[in-house]
Amino acid sequence: MATKYGGYMGKVVLLDLSTRTAEDYPWTDEDREKYIGGKIMAAKVLSDHLTGKEQPFSEENWIVISTGPLTGTGAPSSSRFDLSCLSPQTGILTSSNCGGSFGYYLKKAGIDALILKGRCEKHTWLEIDNGRFIFHDADADGLWGLRTTEGQEKLESLLTAKWGARRAFGKLMIGPGGENLVLYSAVLSGERAAGRAGVGAVFGWKNLKAVSVTGNHEVKVYDPVKNEKWNRKWFKYLRKHPLTGNQLPRLGTAGLVSAMQMRGILATKNYSAGRYEKFEFVNGETLAEEHNIVNKGCLTCPIKCARTVEVQGRKVKGPELETLVLLGGGICNHDLEKILLWNAELDELGLDTISCASTIAYAMEANEKGLWDNGLVFGKTEGITELFDDIAHRRGIGAELAEGSRRLSKKYGGEDFAIQSKGLELAAYEPRRAVGQGLGYAVSNRGGCHLNGGYLVILEGLGLNTNPLTPHAKADFTMLFQDLMEMISATGQCLFTSYAFFPGFLITRPGGIVTRIANAAIPFIGWALRFMNKFPLALELHLPVFHQTKGMCYAVGMKMTFGKYIRCGERGYTLDRWVSTRFGIRAKDDSLPKRLTDVPQDPSDPKTRVPLEQMKKTYYRARGWTQDGVPTERTLKKLGIL
Amino acid sequence: MVHIKLFGLLRLDTGLKELDAEASTVAQLYPILLAEARRVKPATKVTAKDIDGCTVMINGKQGRKSSRLKDGDQVLLMSPVCGG
Ligand code: SF4
Repeated sequence: MATKYGGYMGKVVLLDLSTRTAEDYPWTDEDREKYIGGKIMAAKVLSDHLTGKEQPFSEENWIVISTGPLTGTGAPSSSRFDLSCLSPQTGILTSSNCGGSFGYYLKKAGIDALILKGRCEKHTWLEIDNGRFIFHDADADGLWGLRTTEGQEKLESLLTAKWGARRAFGKLMIGPGGENLVLYSAVLSGERAAGRAGVGAVFGWKNLKAVSVTGNHEVKVYDPVKNEKWNRKWFKYLRKHPLTGNQLPRLGTAGLVSAMQMRGILATKNYSAGRYEKFEFVNGETLAEEHNIVNKGCLTCPIKCARTVEVQGRKVKGPELETLVLLGGGICNHDLEKILLWNAELDELGLDTISCASTIAYAMEANEKGLWDNGLVFGKTEGITELFDDIAHRRGIGAELAEGSRRLSKKYGGEDFAIQSKGLELAAYEPRRAVGQGLGYAVSNRGGCHLNGGYLVILEGLGLNTNPLTPHAKADFTMLFQDLMEMISATGQCLFTSYAFFPGFLITRPGGIVTRIANAAIPFIGWALRFMNKFPLALELHLPVFHQTKGMCYAVGMKMTFGKYIRCGERGYTLDRWVSTRFGIRAKDDSLPKRLTDVPQDPSDPKTRVPLEQMKKTYYRARGWTQDGVPTERTLKKLGIL
Repeated sequence: MVHIKLFGLLRLDTGLKELDAEASTVAQLYPILLAEARRVKPATKVTAKDIDGCTVMINGKQGRKSSRLKDGDQVLLMSPVCGG
C-alpha cells in the first residue's frame, strides 16, 4: 500500500510457506504512525493474529521480519531489523534484533516487512528478488546441514552462479542448532546474529534454512536536503561522544568487563558472585592488547563496535561482553583464547552464546550439588567445544542442554540457581548490586534480557553512578528507558546510539559537580519521571542530545517530538505485553531466581539482593497495568491499542 | 610502595598496565602516573583531568581520590565507561 511517508517502501508481504503464495498485508499510514516499524510493527501484526492458543512449533506461528523507517535512509547505525515470533524457549512473543545489511536489502527489494506463515514442505531456501519469491531445494543445493559461514558462502556462490558477481545480497542463515530445534538457536546474517530466544529453531521447524534478498528499489526520504544535513550533524555528534566515538569503537562492549568487576556486577560462577578473581585474563583490555583487533560494523554505522580478532592464526569475530563474561567467569574459565574460539564455534552452529553458556553453568552447578550427574565441572574446559556440537545436534547430554536452563531445572531441581526469567537466560550483569537492572530482567517482555529490560545498569555504575542498591525511582526509569529503546529499535536504529543520550561530561567527569548532583538526585526524581511517563505528549520538544526525533521528521516526515517518541515506545511495549498475557503471562512470571532476590551477594549487607516485589508494584502502577501485570483496558485505550 | 593497575581506555592511552609507586594517598599517585605515561608514550593525550575522573578501587573496595594508602596496597584505576 503506497504511503505518504518517507523511509517506507509501502509494502508488507504475507508469504505462505506451505502454499508458496504471497499477498500484500494491509498496512496503512495510520498503522505506520502508531506502530512505526521493526518490533512494534511486528507486535501489532502478531497481536492481530495470535489468540493465545498457538504453539511456537506450529504453522500458526508467524515470523515477522521487519525493518524500520530509518533503515536505508542514511541515518547513523540504522541497518537493524527484527525477527519476531513466538519463542520456543519462552512460549511468548520474542523479537530478536540484528545488524548487518539484510534489512537494507529487504528495503531495496521494495519490502518494509515480510511475514512468513505456514511451513515449507521440505528443506528450503528462499530467494527474494525485487519482490519476487523463489523457493529452492536446500538439500539439492547442498545447504541443509551446513554451518553458518560455510552455508553463507555456499549461498553466495549459488547466487553468483545465477546472477553474476555484481549483485549484492542480504542473507539470513540458520546453523545445525536451528535445524535440530535447539530452543536457543540463532539466525545469522553475515557475522551478526539474531541470537536470543530461539528464532533459529522456528526457522528450522519451518524447514527454512536460509533467505537471500536483493533489489534495486530506492529508499526515498521525506526531505532529502534536511535529512542529509541532519545526518551529517548526527554522525559528527556520535563520533565526538566519548562513548560512541571512543570507548565502543576501541574496546567494544568487552571494555565493560573490568568496570563490572569493580562494581561487583560481573556474573561469576553461575551468578553466585559478582567478582571474578581472574577477570584480568578475560577482559576487554587484554583482548585489545593480545588479539589484534580490527574494527568492523554494520552498514551506515559510525560506532563500529564489532570486531575481528586473531586467535591461533585464525581471524574470528570478537566476542561481545556477554559471551566473554558468561563463558569466562560464569563457568570459572580464564582462558581467553578458548572463549574466542568458542564464540566463533557457537556462531557457526547457530546457537545463542548467552543461553548456551548459562545453561552449561546451571548444569555445572547442578552436578556440583549432586542433582544431576552430567560430568560438567566449573573450571574444567576440556570437551566444551565438542559439547557445543552435541547440543547443536542434540546428541547425548547435548540433547538435554538444548532445552535451556528453565526446563532442566524443572527436571533436575535447582530452580533457585537456573539464572533465567520467563525461560530466557539473563545477560552478564549480576543484578544484586544493580537492583534496577534486576527489575528490568524480571519485567522484560521477552524474558531475562538486559536491553529489553531497560538497561538500568547504565545509571547504576556503568555510565552514571547513582546508588545501585536503592529501589527508589528505578521502576520509573526502567519504564522510560524501555520505551525509548523500544522506539529506537522500531525505527531500525541500533540501541547503542541511545548511549549518546547522556552528555559526554557526565561520563568522563564522574567527580564533576554536575555529575555528582545528577547521581545524587536520580533516586529522588521518580515523581518527575512518573509525570513524564504519564503525560509524555506534554513534551512537545526536541532534545539536543536526542537526535532521533528530528531524524524521524526529516527522513520520514512524521511530526515527531520527544514526547510522541516515548508514547510510541510505550505503545509498543504494552502491546507486546498484552499479547503475552494471552499466553498466560502474569506478575508471577516477572520473576528472578531466588539466588538473586533472597540471597544477598554480600552476606554482611542485606541490601545486596534485588528487592523485586517492591519495585514491581511501582512499575505496574507506572505502566497502568494491574498489580497482576496485565495492561488495563484504560491503558490500552489511552495508547490507542483498543 | 603500592601496586597500581590500570584499566579501560586509560590503559590503552597511557600504554601502562601496572606499576609500583610510593604514595600515601590516591591523589599523590596521579602526577606519578602522568609522568610515567608521558615517559612510556610521549604522544599520549591523557591529561591530569582524565586520571582524576577514574574509578578507584583499593584492595577490592571502592576508593576515592582522598583515600589513604599504606605499604602493599593494590590500587585499581579505571577510566569511566558505559553501555554494552
Ligand atoms: S554500534 Fe555495533 S551493533 Fe550497533 S549498528 Fe554499529 S556496529 Fe552494529
